[in-house]
Amino acid sequence: MSQKISRRDFLKLATAGGATAAVLTGCGPASRYVTREPYVKMPEYTYNGLSTYYATTCRECAAGCGLIVRTMQGRAIKAEGNPANPVNLGKTCARGQATLQGLYNPDRVEAPVKQARQQALAAEAMNWDDATQLVADALNNTNPAEIAFLMGTASDHLFDLVTDLTNAIGAPAPVRFGALSMFESRATLSKAAEKSLGQAGLPYFDLGNADLVISFGANFLETWLSPVAYTRGFAKMRRGNSKKRGYMVHFESQMSQTAAKADEWIPLLPGTEGLVALALGRLVAEATGGSVARVFSTVDVREVSIQSGIPLEQLEHVASLIAEAQAPLAIPGGQALGQTNGLANAEAILALNALADNFGKPGGALLSPLAPNEDTYHRPANAREMKDFIAKLNSGSVKVLFVHGVNPIFELPKALGFADALAAVPTVISFATFPDETALASDYIFPDHHGLEAWGYQRSATGTMQSALSGAQPVVSPMYDTRSTADVLIEAARLAGGKLAEALPFTDEVAFIQSKIASLIGRTDGSFVAPEINSFTSYFQQHGGWWKTAAESAVLSAAGALNKNLNVNAAVFAGEGEFFFVPFVSPTLGEAGANKPWLQELPDPMTTVMWNTWVAINPETAHELNLENDDVVKVISEAGEVEAAVYLYPAIHPGVIAMPFGQGHTAYGRFAMARLLESRLVGLVPRAGEVGDPFPRGANPADVLGAYFNEAGDLAFAGMKVKIEKTGEKQYLSRLESRIGVYGEGLPQEGH
Amino acid sequence: MIRKTFEWALSPMGRIAVLIAALSLFSLAAFGVYQSQQPPEQPIQFTHKLHVGLGVQCLYCHPGALRGPSPGLPTISKCWGCHQQIGKTQTSPLLKPMVDAMAKGEGFTWVPVAQVPDFVHFTHRPHVAAGLNCENCHGDMTQVTIAVNPQVMNMGWCLNCHKQKAAGDEEKLTKLTDCGTCHY
Amino acid sequence: MTVDLNLVGAKGAIAEAAEGKWGMSIDQDICTGCQACVAACAMENNISFVGEEDAGYGRSQHWIRIERFWEGAYPEVKATPFQPMLCQQCGHAPCEPVCPVFATPHSEAEQLNLQVYNRCVGTRYCANNCPYQVRSFNWRDYHTIPERGNMVNGTLVFPLHNQFNPDVTVRRRGVMEKCTFCIQRIHKAQDKAKSEGREVEDGEFTTACAQACPANAITFGRVDHPESLVSQLTHQKRGEKHLEELNTLPRVTYLKEG
Repeated sequence: MSQKISRRDFLKLATAGGATAAVLTGCGPASRYVTREPYVKMPEYTYNGLSTYYATTCRECAAGCGLIVRTMQGRAIKAEGNPANPVNLGKTCARGQATLQGLYNPDRVEAPVKQARQQALAAEAMNWDDATQLVADALNNTNPAEIAFLMGTASDHLFDLVTDLTNAIGAPAPVRFGALSMFESRATLSKAAEKSLGQAGLPYFDLGNADLVISFGANFLETWLSPVAYTRGFAKMRRGNSKKRGYMVHFESQMSQTAAKADEWIPLLPGTEGLVALALGRLVAEATGGSVARVFSTVDVREVSIQSGIPLEQLEHVASLIAEAQAPLAIPGGQALGQTNGLANAEAILALNALADNFGKPGGALLSPLAPNEDTYHRPANAREMKDFIAKLNSGSVKVLFVHGVNPIFELPKALGFADALAAVPTVISFATFPDETALASDYIFPDHHGLEAWGYQRSATGTMQSALSGAQPVVSPMYDTRSTADVLIEAARLAGGKLAEALPFTDEVAFIQSKIASLIGRTDGSFVAPEINSFTSYFQQHGGWWKTAAESAVLSAAGALNKNLNVNAAVFAGEGEFFFVPFVSPTLGEAGANKPWLQELPDPMTTVMWNTWVAINPETAHELNLENDDVVKVISEAGEVEAAVYLYPAIHPGVIAMPFGQGHTAYGRFAMARLLESRLVGLVPRAGEVGDPFPRGANPADVLGAYFNEAGDLAFAGMKVKIEKTGEKQYLSRLESRIGVYGEGLPQEGH
Repeated sequence: MIRKTFEWALSPMGRIAVLIAALSLFSLAAFGVYQSQQPPEQPIQFTHKLHVGLGVQCLYCHPGALRGPSPGLPTISKCWGCHQQIGKTQTSPLLKPMVDAMAKGEGFTWVPVAQVPDFVHFTHRPHVAAGLNCENCHGDMTQVTIAVNPQVMNMGWCLNCHKQKAAGDEEKLTKLTDCGTCHY
Repeated sequence: MTVDLNLVGAKGAIAEAAEGKWGMSIDQDICTGCQACVAACAMENNISFVGEEDAGYGRSQHWIRIERFWEGAYPEVKATPFQPMLCQQCGHAPCEPVCPVFATPHSEAEQLNLQVYNRCVGTRYCANNCPYQVRSFNWRDYHTIPERGNMVNGTLVFPLHNQFNPDVTVRRRGVMEKCTFCIQRIHKAQDKAKSEGREVEDGEFTTACAQACPANAITFGRVDHPESLVSQLTHQKRGEKHLEELNTLPRVTYLKEG
């Protein structure tokens, strides 16, 4: 805002203005008439006042859920799930619902800018011709080996386009990354599948047909892999069978939202999940009278009980549940994998499935099918590969870095040093839609459309056993002077000529997408059949993608998972602190939801905290440390420190503290940031500055994570030990649940 | 202080001052009311009389009335569909705004005159379906040049008609006089 | 049929009248607390977000919220099943008789509790009298707070306003609001059915929360039609209504575990 009006002035003005208006118009509304701006050329199929619906794909995460967006007069009004899409069958998660708040976010990059790595978004717009020429020059005048592309996990069509481009000119393949995939430990899952199921790929756990689910930290009802599909599976497991209600046991050191849905939540010490799985396997084998498979033979159940902190009787009880179940299913995920021994944990947990002989069977561990136009499973980079990538940036061997769809400065642990590595790259070109941390640290921002303004497709990596390709099309015309990154690259390649132009001989993005889906023309095993590309494309748009009608099945052998020696070593924890540190992705915000105000205002399902970060501590522990709700503490690891307010969380292991990931942005627009307020009820953190100054909202737990990995190269995000220090400050967290009567507290005294 | 002011207001000069103040307030208010009753300025001096006289049906330009809540205001392409074949289009000064807008690829910013407030959810379709004709609410447009609203479209006007239409039918009356039928 | 619900001994009649017209069943056994319904409701109904500070004062405007309570202490602690709480569209609503300006009438046609924004003067009596605590008050003109807009050539524009659902009134400061059972969708479906000369079919439309729910925990429909899905779910043994003892005749049935 160019002028600042204080509240008092505003009230004065409003009163004066209101009075004048009331007199002038005889107490009627000040302006009776509003103008209507119709389409110049209204599409023939639209009527004023009636909605038009478009099928597209959600880009809030990489799951590839289909959306049907209701539009009216060229504006998008509401996003709903696409009932035909096999991943989500008409349903959406909260982040999918709020996707429109990204489209109409007041903080978008509205035009290409020369950002020049300033702190604030550059004000002066460039024109697109210069921007495209600049990309063309960067591609043309740089040694291909010194070009790097860093991309997010959505959208797949752009990844394919960049892959074609880099292949043609001999540049390194694009690197894909996302915080969600980091916390999902996708590399570990894939590696464990390779070792246990015999094939690399993303495992899919058929919850819907299981009658007992043993989850080891897998937060599949929150953000894990394909939450909408897993939630549907969960509901089917629970109530799908009218004769038997599915039962669920969850092992995790804190009660996550998923754990809260379990019939039994069993807290354990982080890093002991694999051992617990082996112990359960041994107990089950003994209970059923069979011989103990080799994988379980070396484990000492009594010892496991001591190490994990789970009473022996409880282990025996769970083992008896497994032994009695018709279709038991064990799921590895979350903090069980984010340990230095994560891969062994995953293998041990998969061995439980092998024991139940459910590999490749309904209600068991399956392997997600490849998408229709996919040759092999491309998993996103794991954290160790990102570390190598950062080392490459630091070495100065990357001259031009293109970044699209990912915000590594925020999403990667600070200890990996991505922000500093950017300084070693002479030219950084960002295609960010929003002014996030990485975009601001770039030389140029050439903004891509928002996902709802864009063409594309997304392969469903998991969530359904039907091979599916979800299609995206614009539902509204672009709000601002943005341009599709695919179009920019195609045009730049044409300008550059030579090999580049040959690599991308397309008139535009749609022509490229058509070339990639052309292989499906005439296929009769899918959701529709079309004889040639134009009708195929229009069906593709209308249906929101193409998917096979039948579920795939793969024959998987359990033998390899059982007949092997598996050493689950004790997890190694970095640092000296007294607490295990467990970060988890905020179920409501995900990795990039912090700029959407309604996602901020959704209460966390467990703590009901809105708009901020908390540190969950067991009330007993807090009492010993003389901490109360809303006391600000410093969480200190060997890698760094963050500050956040304490939330006394009754369902967490006394030796563990947990923090949600998703807040703590130093950029990313007004809703991701907080403002210094006059009132002190909620405001806190910045101890300096003027009222109205923006500052990070909450804290980013990635700042205290160190660069430690498991055997599969995924980040050991739950492998840190931290200290906590009371700062003496208070920050009143906004929560939905009442403070009165909660742990005997009254209302805060200040701020009234 | 207040007493003093009051006493002054009773003095002859005071009375005159109060009178002048009251008069000027009243005339300001009257001017405001007058202003608010004027039809708004439209982007083009469109005459309904001429078009309806030529036999153009209401629904040709406002087709939404048959199907949904809003009848819709015509886009310039619709105007142009006929007008490009009319020689006068290029010569008439009254039609110049349309020719210019078409050349620039801009639309008309029509100002609707028959409006209900935001908290009223009116939809044309059931009214048309119930057998009402356009002129029942919008007046005889064959006599109107630039659109004006012949009615004060307030709740009493709505309810009067609703009650008449539902006379004798208890269920219909309930539905047509329910707050939730229009306000949500 | 009208029944004087205050009449002593009217219990049988109450049970008959209790059915209502529109109703909802919420399966707490499969509700995962994911907040998709809360987000969907906000998107559909133009609900304003209030920001961190006002949310801290309890002014957030969730028409539906998900409650969870704690039982026991670590390690035997248990979170009670997630409980989506929304306006129960009581047949005998405590909010209705206390409004001095009749802004909370009962819709005889749809059997819903209405909130008429243009009549509401903001006494907040209704919210105080609601045993379910599901009414929220507009403490400010949240939609037009200047910080939410951008200054473009000297005028303040609000890109977020593009999302407004034209079928739902945008509420101003000083009025009460609450869940409407997506009455705009009810009207739209009824209008469509009428234009095609038929009745509204079960499952033809649903509320925003039910449409979004990934677990399909929420079912909406006619509770006075015994063959509708919601009727069948409602009459399961595990169905339970909240604060029934207050004789509010809630239209939302909660399905418990077991």
